[in-house]
Amino acid sequence: MSGGAASAPKPLPSSGPKSLREMPHPLATSSSEEMGPALTPSPDLLLPRSIADKDLSLPNGTPVDTSSPASSSSLLNRLQLDDDLDVETRDLFVTVDDPKKHVCTMETYITYRVTTKTTRAEFDLPEYSVRRRYQDFDWLRNKLEESQPTHLIPPLPEKFVVKGVVDRFSEEFVETRRKALDKFLKRITDHPVLSFNEHFNVFLTAKDLNAYKKQGMALLSKMGESVKYVTGGYKLRSRPLEFAAIGDYLDTFSLKLGTIDRIAQRIIKEQLEYLVELREYGPVYSTWGGLEVELSEPLEGVSACIGNCCTALEELSEDMTEDFLPVLREYILYAESMKNVLKKRDQVQAEYEAKLEAVALKREDRPKVPTDVEKCQDRVECFNADLKADMERWQNNKRQDFRQLLMGMADKNIQYYEKCLTAWESIIPLLQDKPETK
Amino acid sequence: MWCGRRGDKVSSLCLVWLVLHESLFSSSEKMEDCLAKKMEITVSEAEKRTGRNAMNIQETYTAYLIETRAVESQIEGQCAPVESLWRRYSEFELLRNYLSVTYPHIVVPPLPEKRADFVWHKLSADNMDPDFVERRRIGLENFLLRVASHPVLCQDKIFYAFLMQEGGWKEMVNETGFQLKADSRLKALNATFRVKNPDKRFTELKHYSDELQSVISHLLRVRARVADRLYGVYKVHGNYGRVFSEWSAIEKEMGDGLQSAGHHMDVYAASIDDILEEEEHYADQLKEYLFYAEALRAVCRKHELMQYDLEMAAQDLTSKKQQCEELATGTVRTFSLKGMTSKLFGQETPEQREAKIKVLEEQIREGEEQLKSKNLEGRDFVKSAWADIERFKEQKNHDLKEALISYAVMQISMCKKGIQVWTNAKECFSKM
Repeated sequence: MSGGAASAPKPLPSSGPKSLREMPHPLATSSSEEMGPALTPSPDLLLPRSIADKDLSLPNGTPVDTSSPASSSSLLNRLQLDDDLDVETRDLFVTVDDPKKHVCTMETYITYRVTTKTTRAEFDLPEYSVRRRYQDFDWLRNKLEESQPTHLIPPLPEKFVVKGVVDRFSEEFVETRRKALDKFLKRITDHPVLSFNEHFNVFLTAKDLNAYKKQGMALLSKMGESVKYVTGGYKLRSRPLEFAAIGDYLDTFSLKLGTIDRIAQRIIKEQLEYLVELREYGPVYSTWGGLEVELSEPLEGVSACIGNCCTALEELSEDMTEDFLPVLREYILYAESMKNVLKKRDQVQAEYEAKLEAVALKREDRPKVPTDVEKCQDRVECFNADLKADMERWQNNKRQDFRQLLMGMADKNIQYYEKCLTAWESIIPLLQDKPETK
Repeated sequence: MWCGRRGDKVSSLCLVWLVLHESLFSSSEKMEDCLAKKMEITVSEAEKRTGRNAMNIQETYTAYLIETRAVESQIEGQCAPVESLWRRYSEFELLRNYLSVTYPHIVVPPLPEKRADFVWHKLSADNMDPDFVERRRIGLENFLLRVASHPVLCQDKIFYAFLMQEGGWKEMVNETGFQLKADSRLKALNATFRVKNPDKRFTELKHYSDELQSVISHLLRVRARVADRLYGVYKVHGNYGRVFSEWSAIEKEMGDGLQSAGHHMDVYAASIDDILEEEEHYADQLKEYLFYAEALRAVCRKHELMQYDLEMAAQDLTSKKQQCEELATGTVRTFSLKGMTSKLFGQETPEQREAKIKVLEEQIREGEEQLKSKNLEGRDFVKSAWADIERFKEQKNHDLKEALISYAVMQISMCKKGIQVWTNAKECFSKM
């Protein structure tokens, strides 16, 4: 039994059994390949979001009683943003939820429930439910990188908590991580090649993953050269234009995301400082109200109003920290891993070119290209094809994700202002109230 | 030259000050006699001047143009002529000092602050700063309107001359000799500590005005910090504009959406300047009442002073009566140095005693007269002061309510702007 790549269908861009799944989003422009008739959003898309991308941003059930057009259009958002529109064409659904804390003698850790629903033949059962911890996801990712080196593997949320004293077991941290792990698996699920990877299958189905992991170690040593791409120190003379362009793009992209991350963090910091002052400001009106007779109610009203604005602001900052920043960071990690794949591709091409040159220099009687060099050429062509296909898919998904992320950010700000607006509008009548006496 | 009235922010300014003008006329007092009803008063312009001061040192100051126009003739469709003169801040101060001393039972309207206080970092503390000058111009106009609509103060001739007579006004004020009537601070402080029986209402009022001063100062300080922080939040969003623009350069389909969203972020960042400028007017309204608290205190101090004076006079009278009695009856009830020395060095002759008694009796008579008139004065003062205080309370409640409403309106406007900008940005993002 060889590694995953061998069992999956050869990933050439324009063919493959899951052509529908490769179909770009109908709202994408025509520059991406279109595989068939564009699908229109199906009306029964008001599905519970556990199946489709349950991401960051949508108003979470707050009653839409404000007159702002923004919140009433959120329903429309749901329709427009769903990645796969016809639920019927999908045959694999994966969800990560239900985090639980496990306290053992050696360590304390969190596991997540991974639920799979599928009609694929590669799975013995139509449904699975297993528990996995972060290390298992990490293992999966490594396995995928190893076995599918020509493909872009989605990133995992950061392994270690960098910034000081963040509680690994706090609700917010666990929830943020859960969302990221869910996104990770969904991205793999959506991938026409990766989703058929054997390790992925085992990850989703095995009762005892650790046993398989150990077995996998032994297998690794038996794996053929076809899987291990040589990085034997070959130096590529020049990267082909299109890949150079991708490399440049990723560099600038990472840079810009890094800047946006810093700006967002700065905004959150300023908001929290603003909040500190507001928290002192509101109560002063209350104190004043205590001094007055006729003005007592209006002043108390203003104090309460400011208090409500404080709460709204706190929620906004929390949302930004928990939903916005992690996704930015994820994409920065993504870009990094993609740049590594580009480098691997360079290696493969370099090896091919070197071997080709060596043959040319040997000047053999029969200009028969040795199978060795032929294999290298194949490898290069496959790599290039896989990478191009994945880049295109990545670009589309990135566009979706960022559209959703940024709209979500706008939404949260709109909601914040709507909450404040409601608070201030509601005290106007209180302030205008004429006392009965006099 | 400044064109204050016809400024850019007329709409919100108008809201605030029209409301204020309304309040000036809403008091239940008989307002028909008020100057404010008969005459339009504005401080329409401010101008930088240089001149030589009393010590012949060159200085720069700001002069304010006061314009007045009689109202009545306007009804006939004719435009009455506008009279105008220039005054500087120190003259306003002189006017107010005069009024405070001459009408100690009145809560005299305060002047806008002399130096910029409670500033947040973007606001200049410089007295020559155009924004400060502008807000001061409005404050001075407000001061004149308040005086002109006060039933007692508006009838004052010095005030009238301040508005109408440019030359020789200072001399006129000084000729009233009001400075002599002014109570020394030391005297007032002494009275505050030593008075035994002040009117309870004034004691409570003094307490109230102290607390009011304290709470409004606190409020203004924190508000300035809040403004500072809010400014920071908005301005950082401007950075999004730049980075979205840079990012859009490498994107194909996403580019336009990002670029236009970035523009909205710039709009958002810029919007805070106007918002906070408007809020300064709210702060100015609060400041007026911060300074009014001081005026209230002044009335209380005057009462304490008069009461103390009365108590001292009564005490003096009592001791004189006692002395008289002792001399007449020859008994020494209280220890006195005179008594001791006379015991030691020999008693007085009956003639001497008689003379002393006569002097004392005269003094007692005078004293009783004085006490009576002081008592009357005191009662009059309490009555008229309290009447003005009631008027003031009504004005204060009305004004502060209006100020709070206008503040809420400002906040609502800010929220609506925020919703608008982010909705626009969201739409741009949706087109990515």
